[in-house]
Amino acid sequence: MKKSALFLGACALALAGFAAAPASSQQRVIKIAGFGAKTGPVRSFGVNSEAAMRAAAAEINAKGGIKLADGKMAKVEVTFDDDRCQAEDGINLVRRYASSDVLVAVGPTCSNVAEPLFGILQKKVSDEKDSGLRFPIFTDVAVKAGLAQISEWAFRNTPNEPLLYDALFKYLQAKRPELKTIMGGKEGDFAHSKAGWDAVMKVAAPKYGMNIVGEVEWKLTDTTFTTQVREMKAKNPDVIAIAAHPFTLCGVVKEMARQGVKPKLIIGLTSSSSMETMEGCARQVEGAIIPTTFAPVNPEAKRVAGLIAKQKGSADLHSTAAWENVIILKSVIEAAKIDGKPETLAADRRKVRDALAALKETQGLLGVTKRTEDREAIKPFVFVTAKGGNWVVSYDPTKPN
Amino acid sequence: MVLVQAIIDGILVGTTYALIGIGFTLIFGVMHKLNLAFAAASIAGAFASLVAWQHFKDLPVPLVFLISAAAAGVLGYLIYLTCFRFIPLKSPLATLMATVGMLIFLEEIVTHVSDGKAQNYPGMLPDARWTLGPLDIRVDYILVFAISVAAMLLLLALLYRTRLGIATRAVAQQPVAAQLCGISLDRTNAATFVMSGVLGGLAGAMIGSSAELLSNLLPLQLTVKGLIVTVIGGLGSIPGAIVAGLLVGAVEKGVETWSVLARDLCVMLLIFVFLVAKPAGIFGKLNVRD
Repeated sequence: MKKSALFLGACALALAGFAAAPASSQQRVIKIAGFGAKTGPVRSFGVNSEAAMRAAAAEINAKGGIKLADGKMAKVEVTFDDDRCQAEDGINLVRRYASSDVLVAVGPTCSNVAEPLFGILQKKVSDEKDSGLRFPIFTDVAVKAGLAQISEWAFRNTPNEPLLYDALFKYLQAKRPELKTIMGGKEGDFAHSKAGWDAVMKVAAPKYGMNIVGEVEWKLTDTTFTTQVREMKAKNPDVIAIAAHPFTLCGVVKEMARQGVKPKLIIGLTSSSSMETMEGCARQVEGAIIPTTFAPVNPEAKRVAGLIAKQKGSADLHSTAAWENVIILKSVIEAAKIDGKPETLAADRRKVRDALAALKETQGLLGVTKRTEDREAIKPFVFVTAKGGNWVVSYDPTKPN
Repeated sequence: MVLVQAIIDGILVGTTYALIGIGFTLIFGVMHKLNLAFAAASIAGAFASLVAWQHFKDLPVPLVFLISAAAAGVLGYLIYLTCFRFIPLKSPLATLMATVGMLIFLEEIVTHVSDGKAQNYPGMLPDARWTLGPLDIRVDYILVFAISVAAMLLLLALLYRTRLGIATRAVAQQPVAAQLCGISLDRTNAATFVMSGVLGGLAGAMIGSSAELLSNLLPLQLTVKGLIVTVIGGLGSIPGAIVAGLLVGAVEKGVETWSVLARDLCVMLLIFVFLVAKPAGIFGKLNVRD
């Protein structure tokens, strides 16, 4: 008798569960797919972007989610895939997202992935004959200049490096007029690094009176830099600009210390203004200056850095862009009044694209980010200097004195 | 003078390539099998020593090197057990694929231990330099050279002056006859894997130490370098691996003064030159086995 009662009770609970199921399945979900490098030398960028996206989604969901066209609230679901900084992997991932129920993607890490990837998207939304993918991508990290021009479905919230370094060299001309000569170093096999010197710093430095006395290069996976640093020593420039990511940046500055190469100033690539650099070579980069679009300089930036840290990531100019992208997408989705239903997915993607394209400015962690006609961002920035194992803000254009 | 300086650097660093090449060649000489996981085990050994260095602060560098050598030796034995001992040796692809699997497995472990980031590794006299006229030589490179040469001499003494060495050479030349003489193939093969592992661990530690960084990207790079050295030196030839290691180091650094991007191309070109002009390598002999 007792057993029968237990059995009946269990059946009743199971039935109650079934009855409740349709109610919970009615909860709509907005899927945002993150993708970037989680293996290889730039793995930390993918790890940090994922942490930032998950932190942003957690915050949105804690506040109830995203409001849809019919007034119902949808939860945000963030996934993150590894494209290994390989173009074919990135393209395969986005093709998969486009054929699934993902609304929009955030990524990739590497410009050499972004460039061919944007090439498979529909170029102009008005061109009905173009069979390219009609899927919005909102890039957080890949920074090579001008990439969003490739497709009207591509948007970026990345630093505008030509503007940043232009401002830096202008600042140096005013504050450090004794700096007259510069030498560059770059990772010759990595698009961002190569462009960071060739198309950005090498262009900006002479504009503000610095004479380029030479340049050296190495590969992204190199571990010895004796030959390159000897050349630096021979040229003895006032400034050494190292357009490289933390791994080789640290290798180079350690070799510089060994060979006694002490320029008056080291300038770094935006991507190196991270804690990875400090963990690798804080002593050797002491005094180096880098323009960046993120530093924990205000209460909100500090709070977000804490939330990203809780997700086991590090807040830097790239990962905080991933945070901003998810927050921007929330407001865009709400403003565009999307339905969030399987049958409206294609229309919803188009609404998201159009709403992103219509943005004139967005709120970023350092202030207002302006959006350009070609779907790029002009973000507020600061200059940070390596000091005692931390990146310290040495110049904030909003506080000139 | 820049070229001379670069070639000297290359020769000094090339001794670590020679050690890796010896590791490959030792195993090939004894078993006529390639162990593609060898370089990965060498770097994994170095990472094990890194973990020890991070855990027990202020460990002296020589002890860190010894830990690396010991850990890589243990890994060498484990590779023997998992990829060779119980796998039919008659199927040449079986052991090769097993070691490829082990290479990927070890690389993944290293990536997870390091969180995919390069880690600081203790350097040997990082700021010491030796100036000889116009030449400026890093003292730690000289130490790398000296330690590598000492390790090679020790290995040669082991192979030519001890019972284990005689057994190893006997197994390499005539495995059946060696067995008939009472030499245990299993034990000799295992000892060879441990010996080569110790050498590899030492090389891994010195590569990390000279860069003061240990990267999870090194296993694959070092595997390629080790194979290049082994092919150029002649499969199974220890003197060949030594000369080829120095040659590859010198060519790499020499070409680097002209073009970094052409560096690896030139090393690969060197392989083609040897494969066409001297397919058995510098000191190797074709069809040396009965």
